[in-house]
Amino acid sequence: MSVAFAHPVTVWIVSATVAVVAGAAAAIGWLSATGRVRPDLRRELWLRLGSWCVLLPLMLGPVLAGREWTIAAVTVLALACYREYARATGLFRDRVLSAAVVVAILAMNFAALDNWYGFFVALWPLSVCLLAVASIPLDRPQGYIQRVGLAVFGTMLFGAGLAHLGYMANDPGYRPLVLLLLTAVALNDVAAFTCGKLIGGPKLLPATSPNKTISGSLGAVVVTASVVALIGAALFAGTPMGQWHWLVVFGVLVSVAGQLGDLMLSSIKRDIGIKDMGAVLPGHGGILDRFNSLLLVAPAVFHLVHYLVGIGEGQPVRLITGGG
Amino acid sequence: MDWKLRPARDLGLAPGDRLRSLARERGLFGVAANAAWRWLLRLYFRVFHRLEVTGRENLPAAPFVLIANHGSHLDALVLAASLRGEAGRAAHALAAGEVFFGSGAGAAFAAYAINAMPIWRGKTQRGDIRMLRERLVEDRLVYILFPEGTRSRSGEMGEFQPGLAALVAGTGVAVVPCWIEGAHAAWPPQRRWPRPGKLRLRIGAPLSMEGDRAAFTAACRAAVAALAAAR
Repeated sequence: MSVAFAHPVTVWIVSATVAVVAGAAAAIGWLSATGRVRPDLRRELWLRLGSWCVLLPLMLGPVLAGREWTIAAVTVLALACYREYARATGLFRDRVLSAAVVVAILAMNFAALDNWYGFFVALWPLSVCLLAVASIPLDRPQGYIQRVGLAVFGTMLFGAGLAHLGYMANDPGYRPLVLLLLTAVALNDVAAFTCGKLIGGPKLLPATSPNKTISGSLGAVVVTASVVALIGAALFAGTPMGQWHWLVVFGVLVSVAGQLGDLMLSSIKRDIGIKDMGAVLPGHGGILDRFNSLLLVAPAVFHLVHYLVGIGEGQPVRLITGGG
Repeated sequence: MDWKLRPARDLGLAPGDRLRSLARERGLFGVAANAAWRWLLRLYFRVFHRLEVTGRENLPAAPFVLIANHGSHLDALVLAASLRGEAGRAAHALAAGEVFFGSGAGAAFAAYAINAMPIWRGKTQRGDIRMLRERLVEDRLVYILFPEGTRSRSGEMGEFQPGLAALVAGTGVAVVPCWIEGAHAAWPPQRRWPRPGKLRLRIGAPLSMEGDRAAFTAACRAAVAALAAAR
């Protein structure tokens, strides 16, 4: 327990998260008791809060529990995200390719667990090679480009993209950074929604996501970047990332990559013609509808921090395969 | 190019509803669970029932509907275990919803292991038949169906219900008659658990729907009965 909460930023984030949930429950309770919201909206609010009460321990718990738990949770998340994506696009019917994607996702997360960066990086082109040849023996060239394209896209997003989040756990001080990313993308969504409602104005990309406004998007950048940069100042003090301009880049990157991940999923859904990717999380839709922002944030932040500070520098490598 | 973005038919259904939906489409986990179950069934039938299958050469390529006499819960398992390759993977047993999909755990087992689809007695709607027909043809499925509608208490084959003809009418899908021998003796409706005993499955030549529905229903029953007589 003392290790999990060793960094003050970890304590701040967990405390703030618990306080926000308690505050939201109190607010919804007050709105319900005073009859200020319609019954359907009240039900929707309680459903969303209930989902968060289940999700948050599942998100924060493994990160606090340790490296292996974090990577295991990211692996489960990646497989769940791929499942929804495959069912939405129809790729799940192509079982050979789907199995190849699952193998690639497992291999990338294994590389993270092994702390073998060379293999982790090599798996991106190697996965593409595997996916390109996996369905050839079926002798069914019709639709080859579409299905391999979908498989590569899915592998890169849910395998390579999310595995960066797990790989961060190879750094002894990963907890506050991973917790910051998990909570910052949620803050980003809330800030965009709130600023958009309060300020209004022209739509951002109406054909892609009809409810998003330019004011909401810019407001989210200001709010999220400020919060992330402030917490980042405590997190990266004494490192090259601690300089104010890099902290601003860090904050803006989290907000912009988070919003782009959201818009990317909206593009996928509009193209297919569906509203939600699933119905697993009451009030949210599918798992991807909740975690879309992380898909681009994880690799973007990983490589910024890796470039400027390093991740897991000096830690034992190839923990499982040996030879490090 | 025949590949297009086509979401799963059951997309957007809550997990519990999905298990009980005729639109349920399996992913990798479902395929693996069903393959493991059919492997276990084959082992069980070989060891405890010395299952003997004849007439496999009569099975056409999917889609088709496999029908048989029904005197035991073993019947659907015998038919599912006897199908191999793509036909085995495409096989869906049409099962009584009240019996197999009543509880959450039962529904999960019926959906993932048996790969059953629920038919609710007395509540089947026109839309259900339409969905079953659509999936049979478009998804190239194999249905395991017992036209008597329920297990025979005496072991004697009962009358066939009209649902079979309604299901295949106008689709051009073949119906394959089968006769299962020994299942009623091994596990009759009156017994709680099955007992070991010899099982035989005879698979007959496929039938195509010709004439009116009543005539086809009668022809299917006659074909199953003929297999019984061919012992």
